[in-house]
Amino acid sequence: MAETENKPSGVVLKYDENNPLHHFLRSAGIATVSILTLLLVWWFVSLALRNPALPTPIEVFEALIYLFTVGDTMSSLTMWDNMSISLQRFAVGFLMAFVLAVPLGLVLGSSPKLNEFATPIYELIRPIAPIAWAPIFLFMFGARTSPSMVVAIGIFFPLLTNTIFGVTKIDPSHVDAAKTLGANGLQRFLKVTLPSGIPYIMNGIRIGLGVGWMCIVAAEMIVPIGGGIGYFISIQAQQYMQYTYCWAGIVVICILGLLTTTLADRVYKLITRRMGIDAD
Amino acid sequence: MTQTDVARKTSQTSGRDFIKVENLKKVFKKDDREVVVLNDFSLSINKGELISIVGPSGCGKTTILRMIAGLVEPTSGTVTVDGKCCQGPGPDRGMVFQDFALFPWRSVRKNVEFGLEVAGVPKAERRERAERYIKSVGLAGFENAMVHELSGGMKQRVGIARALVTKPDVILMDEPFGALDAQTRNIMQTELLRITDKTDTTVIFVTHSVDEAVYISDRIVILTKRPAKIKEVIDIPWPHPRDRSSQEFTALRRKILKMLESENIQPDGSTGTVA
Repeated sequence: MAETENKPSGVVLKYDENNPLHHFLRSAGIATVSILTLLLVWWFVSLALRNPALPTPIEVFEALIYLFTVGDTMSSLTMWDNMSISLQRFAVGFLMAFVLAVPLGLVLGSSPKLNEFATPIYELIRPIAPIAWAPIFLFMFGARTSPSMVVAIGIFFPLLTNTIFGVTKIDPSHVDAAKTLGANGLQRFLKVTLPSGIPYIMNGIRIGLGVGWMCIVAAEMIVPIGGGIGYFISIQAQQYMQYTYCWAGIVVICILGLLTTTLADRVYKLITRRMGIDAD
Repeated sequence: MTQTDVARKTSQTSGRDFIKVENLKKVFKKDDREVVVLNDFSLSINKGELISIVGPSGCGKTTILRMIAGLVEPTSGTVTVDGKCCQGPGPDRGMVFQDFALFPWRSVRKNVEFGLEVAGVPKAERRERAERYIKSVGLAGFENAMVHELSGGMKQRVGIARALVTKPDVILMDEPFGALDAQTRNIMQTELLRITDKTDTTVIFVTHSVDEAVYISDRIVILTKRPAKIKEVIDIPWPHPRDRSSQEFTALRRKILKMLESENIQPDGSTGTVA
C-alpha cells in the first residue's frame, strides 16, 4: 500500500536545505573531506617520489610552525613578517586599482562615445600578463612599490570592465522613472547609475582579488630584496634549496587567498541581498 | 474682483482643456526608411479626468504617453499642461510603468521619497509626505520593506504612490496593470479610482484591456492602426462602481472590441498591417 509507505519521521537525521546550520555543517563537512583527500594524495605522492623538492604534508606543517614562531634564520624574518609585507603591498595595489578603475569605469560606461574610443586601448593592454610589467616597474618604482604596481594592474582590468558593464547594464526604465520624477543628470548618476553599478563593481573586486593574489607572489619573486611571501619562496628555493620552506610559503598563500576571496564573496552577497540586485 | 476670485476663475478656465496635446507627430528612422508612428494627434483633457487610450498592438499608444511625459521628443507638435509648454520630463507629469521601474536598492519609503529628495524637500517633510501616500495606497506597515519582498500588486501601489507624492498635474500610466494577474488587476482598478478620486488627479491611462478601459475611464480614446489617428472618442458618464456584467457595460465593451478588430483584420480576412 503506497499510502502507508511514507518514510518514518523523527528517527533519521534528515538534511534540511533551508536550515542554515544544516547547510553550514553540510558544506563544512564536504570541504573537510575534499581537503583531507588532497592532503592524502600529496602524502602518498611525496612518499612515492622521495624527491627533496616534494616534502610530506607533515614536514611542511612542522616547517610552518617553526617559521611562524622562530623564523627563517637566513633573513631573520618570521612568516608573520613576510605575510604582513605581502598584505601591505597587496592593499596598496588594490587601492590604486580601485581609485583608478571605478571612476574611469563609471565615466566610460556612461559615455558610449568615450568607451568606443577607449576600448581598443584597454583591449590591447588587458591581455598582457601583469607580471610582464614587473621588471619595468622594478626599474621605475623600486623594489618596495613594484609588486604593488603589478597587483594594481592585475586588479585594474577586471574591475574596469565589470564597472563599465555594470553601468551599461542599467535598467533603462529606472532612468526613465528618475527622469519623470525630476532628477537631473547628476542626481541620476548618483542615485541611479551608481547604486545599479555597485553589485557589478563588487563582482569586479571579487574577481580582481583572485588575480591580485597571483600577481603579488609572482611580482615578489622577481624583486631581489625586501621580503614578502613570493620573495621568501623564491629565495629559499634558489639560494638555500630549502624546498620544505617553499611549500610552507605556498600553503600560506593558499590560506590567505582563500580568506580574501571568501571575505569578498561574503561582502558581495551581503551587498547584493541588501540592495535587492543580483549581478550574476 | 478679489484675488481668490481671480484664482478660482483661472483654475476654472484651466479645468477645461487642462492638458492640450496639439498636432503631435512622430517619425522614427529605421535604417533608411522613415516610419510614421503618429500623425497629427490632438487631444484635450480636462482636470480630474481619467482618460484611457486603447488601440491595436503597436499603434503607438505608449509613444504618445512617452511624448507627453517628455521621455520621447515629438517630431513636431506640442504638449501643454495647465497652460505651460512641456519640454523634457518633469515632476509635473508623473509616470507609472508597466514593469513598475521601482529602485530595488531602496525601501518602499525611499522609493516614494525619491521625487521629493531630488526636489530638495527637507527630510522630515519628505518622510511625512511619503508616509501619507504610502498609507493612501494601502501599504501602511510596509514602509521599510524592500521591493523584492512585495507582490506585483504591492509593487505597483508603490509605483503609484511614488508618482503621486510630488503632486503632479497628471499621472501617465503605461499599461500599469498589464503584468498583474486578473484578480489583482481588478482590485488595482478599484484602488486606482479610489486614490485618484480622493486626490482629484488627472490620469492618462494606456491599456490593452478594453474591459479595464470601460471599467475605469471617463473617456476612452480609440486609435487606428499605425500611423495612429483617433478613430473615436467615447464618453462614459456612468457612476462608479461599475458593474462589469451589466448589459450596457458588455454592449460598450463589444462595440469597442469590434472597432479594434476592424483595425486589425484586413478586408481579405488576414490579420496584420499593410505591407
